[in-house]
Amino acid sequence: MKNNRILPLTLVVAAVLAGCSSLPANNSLLDEARNDYSIAQANPQVTSLAAGELRQAGNSLDKANSAWSKDESKAKVDHLAYVAKQEVAIARETADQKAAELAVSNATAERDAVRLEGRTREAEYAQRSAQISQRQSEAAERDARDSQRQSEASQRSAEASQRQAEAQTQAANIAQLNAQDARQQAEAAQDRALQLEAQLKAMEATKTERGMVVTLGDVLFDTDEAQLKSGGVHNVQKLADFFRQYPQRNVMIEGFTDSTGSDSHNQNLSDRRADSVRTALLGMGMGSERITWRGYGESYPVASNDTAAGRQQNRRVEMIVSDDNGKIAPR
Amino acid sequence: MSSHQWYRAAGAIGIAAVVMAGCASVPKPTEQIAVSNSAITNASRAGGAEFAPVEMRSAQDKMARAHQAMAKEDYEDARRLAEEAQADAMLAEKKAESAKARKAAVVMGDDIRVLREEINRKSK
Repeated sequence: MKNNRILPLTLVVAAVLAGCSSLPANNSLLDEARNDYSIAQANPQVTSLAAGELRQAGNSLDKANSAWSKDESKAKVDHLAYVAKQEVAIARETADQKAAELAVSNATAERDAVRLEGRTREAEYAQRSAQISQRQSEAAERDARDSQRQSEASQRSAEASQRQAEAQTQAANIAQLNAQDARQQAEAAQDRALQLEAQLKAMEATKTERGMVVTLGDVLFDTDEAQLKSGGVHNVQKLADFFRQYPQRNVMIEGFTDSTGSDSHNQNLSDRRADSVRTALLGMGMGSERITWRGYGESYPVASNDTAAGRQQNRRVEMIVSDDNGKIAPR
Repeated sequence: MSSHQWYRAAGAIGIAAVVMAGCASVPKPTEQIAVSNSAITNASRAGGAEFAPVEMRSAQDKMARAHQAMAKEDYEDARRLAEEAQADAMLAEKKAESAKARKAAVVMGDDIRVLREEINRKSK
């Protein structure tokens, strides 16, 4: 009976002693909460972004630890440990959320920067395009100007060619005209020569070594006088006309007689008759510088003085026409 | 009434006081129940069922048990269950929010990448 009383008492004492000497039995849920909390505390993202939530979890964990160290009921410790554990998880998720939100906000800024970059590039692209267009249009303009210059040059060279052609045509025309002129001149010269000959022939001129000679016969003078008859004046007039047409030609007037009478008389008569013709020519407008004259008396007969016909032939005045240079060979 | 009887009466009153005091120290956790219900509603609205199904189920389960404990007038158990349900619901809400935020960050990163590619193609 005594033993029976002692045993419970011993057990109670043992239980009290055990309670004092050792910590309460491990609580696995509390261990998990502690472990989670220390991991979260080591995570700078959680400590910086979810400081309030982590502090809340710490307070709850303190309560759980306190309950556990006071050896309160397992249900209470489990409960407090569970709440603390969930609150650590909340702190972790909060940190995750805030980090993601920060990332979104940074990304928004980045997106704006990218958009700005895009617009800047578009603007640059547009500017480059505009510059390229401008350069192209400038090049086109230059090409157009070049083309115009070339066509102008072509036109100028065409014009020059035309002018040259015209000049050549003109030169050819001139050459033709010159040729015509030359031919005409030649023809005219020939004409003149023929005309001269014809006129002189009409005056019954004869061709001699000294030139054409027109002879005024004795019948054209009054007998033994120097005065020209009207027929002689007519002949002299024809000669004067001739010399008017050929101003480069001069005349030599020579008077002759027959052998009848004295020499001095004959010389005088031949002088006067030559002078008479000269005076007539001067009267008809011929320049005195073109006329030379002299009498030869009975010298240089052209026929015999023995017959009347011969003597008549010897009584004469000869007019020698010079060449084109105005020269007459002396007798 | 003998003195012995007085002792008995005093003992009975003392016990009754202790019992009443015990009742007064575990009040009805009406406020906590309301807070926990609100937390579950918020978590559900935030998409907790989709992003944190385990926590959501746990919160709802604990809330149901809390209501049972309330019915049994086991207020201490009801409070603990309601508090745990609140913690679960808050965690579910946070998980949903952080998952959405991470998703948004990923989408934004993709957007930026696409935008950059487009710009690079355009400007070439």
